[in-house]
Amino acid sequence: MSSLSYREKSLYASLLIELAVYLPYFFLHGHNSVSKVAGMIAAIIVLQIAAQGIIAALTRNRITDERDRLIELRGYRVGYFTFATLMALGLAMLWFHASVLNNFHPEHSNMGLHFISVFFGILVIADITRTVAQLIAYRRAL
Amino acid sequence: MPAIRNQVRELRAARNITQQELADQVGVTRQTVIAIEQDKYSPSLETAFKAALALGVSLEQCFQYDPKGRR
Repeated sequence: MSSLSYREKSLYASLLIELAVYLPYFFLHGHNSVSKVAGMIAAIIVLQIAAQGIIAALTRNRITDERDRLIELRGYRVGYFTFATLMALGLAMLWFHASVLNNFHPEHSNMGLHFISVFFGILVIADITRTVAQLIAYRRAL
Repeated sequence: MPAIRNQVRELRAARNITQQELADQVGVTRQTVIAIEQDKYSPSLETAFKAALALGVSLEQCFQYDPKGRR
């Protein structure tokens, strides 16, 4: 771990927390609810604050430099591209269901939660992609 | 060959300076010094000047530009 910079350690912690919280939500729980989404967001916030606090306390040299900022920008670019692509795909699928298959029923009681889950899933995938892109950039020295 | 090459590793070794010491003087992380030495990262002009200054040489002695190199 000593060969990792402060930002890298922070990113690894973020990735582990994101995977630990999001994966069970999206893949293990059959029946999601609004309260589970809220609980997941609260868990992410608490775990991130705790992990980042521990890393900051254990890392003596917490300097971030121009390369860190460049890698951060690169990660955000990848994350935004992922987000925009998935949103376009999601909207296209919505249009396909509504227009071609004619099985889009907004009046259905679970539709709101379904939309929240899909939108949140897209955000999660984009965020994980951003973090992974940054870690790859660090490992490849940029 | 990269477009911008450097002699940071050789100059640093000749002066018996560690990567961490150079990083502290330049104001970057040790990982950035490693990336510069491996020609995997081209620093900003300001960082390049700071590195040359820390190593006690001119910018041209520390960094060279090869127009035919890959960017």
